[in-house]
Amino acid sequence: MPTVLIPTPLRPHANGLDKVEGQGETVGIVLADVLSQHPALRKRLFDGEDLRRFVNVYVNNEDIRFLDDLQTAVQPDDEISIIPAIAGG
Amino acid sequence: MPFADNSPDPLDRYSRQMRFPALGEDGQRKLAASRVTICGCGALGTVLANHLVRAGVGFVRIVDRDFIETHNLQRQILFDETDVAENLPKAEAAARKLRLINSQVQIEAVVTDIDHSNILDLVSDADLILDGTDNFETRYLINDVAVKLNKPWIFGGVIGSEGQTMTIRPGVTPCLRCVIESSPPPGMSPTCETAGVLGPAVSVIASFEAVEAIKLLAGKLDALNTELIMVDLWNWSFRRLKIAALKGKVDCPACERRQFSWLEGEFGSHTTTLCGRNAVQVAVRRGEPLRFGELADRLRPLGEVRHNAYMLKFTTEGYEFTVFPDGRAIIKGTNEIARARSLYAQFIGN
Repeated sequence: MPTVLIPTPLRPHANGLDKVEGQGETVGIVLADVLSQHPALRKRLFDGEDLRRFVNVYVNNEDIRFLDDLQTAVQPDDEISIIPAIAGG
Repeated sequence: MPFADNSPDPLDRYSRQMRFPALGEDGQRKLAASRVTICGCGALGTVLANHLVRAGVGFVRIVDRDFIETHNLQRQILFDETDVAENLPKAEAAARKLRLINSQVQIEAVVTDIDHSNILDLVSDADLILDGTDNFETRYLINDVAVKLNKPWIFGGVIGSEGQTMTIRPGVTPCLRCVIESSPPPGMSPTCETAGVLGPAVSVIASFEAVEAIKLLAGKLDALNTELIMVDLWNWSFRRLKIAALKGKVDCPACERRQFSWLEGEFGSHTTTLCGRNAVQVAVRRGEPLRFGELADRLRPLGEVRHNAYMLKFTTEGYEFTVFPDGRAIIKGTNEIARARSLYAQFIGN
């Protein structure tokens, strides 16, 4: 199953996990499965049906905006990363 | 026998660096003829300034709005306890140290709060802008001015043991807004104050920024980073996210449509001193209401927090924050705008 990597700031909303497996053939379906396991993540990632503008999603090391967005096809060994913007310094 | 010539060659001190073949004497001479502006002189900024002054960049301008506090010393490498006792501004204290380190470099300290009204003056004469800030409001402002003036800049950010960096060359690479379309609204993302930060993590990211600066100023453009680098020192992870393809693919307001909303003052915070009340109002214009519950959870370890549906009150280090759902905050305990904006960035986040 594809794995979704959960960034540090979102882990409190995913029972502290740093990765969660989700079932599906596209990024959108895998994320929906992960959200059904951890509903508190939904409002942090989605605004209605769309990803929030400050949430960036990568499959392996590529931004889904230059693949097929949420329709991007994924294989069972793919890693989906949610990349937060890091503010401090 | 007297020596025929005992005046040292000014390049001697850089001999070990020039011997590195990819830089060479030619690269060193270009560094000496270069000018940079470092925006922010905290954890990232002190490491950046330290590297660039030692490396012999000809002119280094250091801009910062804050004064040094004891809790900065854990990671802000140019400062010491004497600076805290003397109540020195960070930019000035850094400049004094750096002049002792390398008197060949021209160093300018500017104690100011970077905003849309002064950023052009601070960066127009620089070949490169470096990010030593702790908030996205200033970074988007830097991005606007850099894209508008077609000047390179280097982004870096750190929290906890994690950091990110990317090198932005307008017209060549995607810009910050291509890659990170917008930052989380105030109160929704951790800051170094609420989530903590490790000194070595900052040093690593600032050192990545510094080496990119050296390549760029020395004209070694082929060696530049074209990816979004993400590092987690605690878990030994190092990732290189491919972003080059975003250039021209996303409808970026800054580099495609040339709308510079941060530079024009349309986006960003607006501050007002509340006369006679020793308080400043910081208003951050963002669409989304603040989530008080989450913000309260992050602030609770740092001071006293109370909230209802209409306001959140938070007291820490002698300051009292009254925060409203629209992101506006009244910060009591100072009448200095720069201090209030700095406190907002540190505790609420923008």
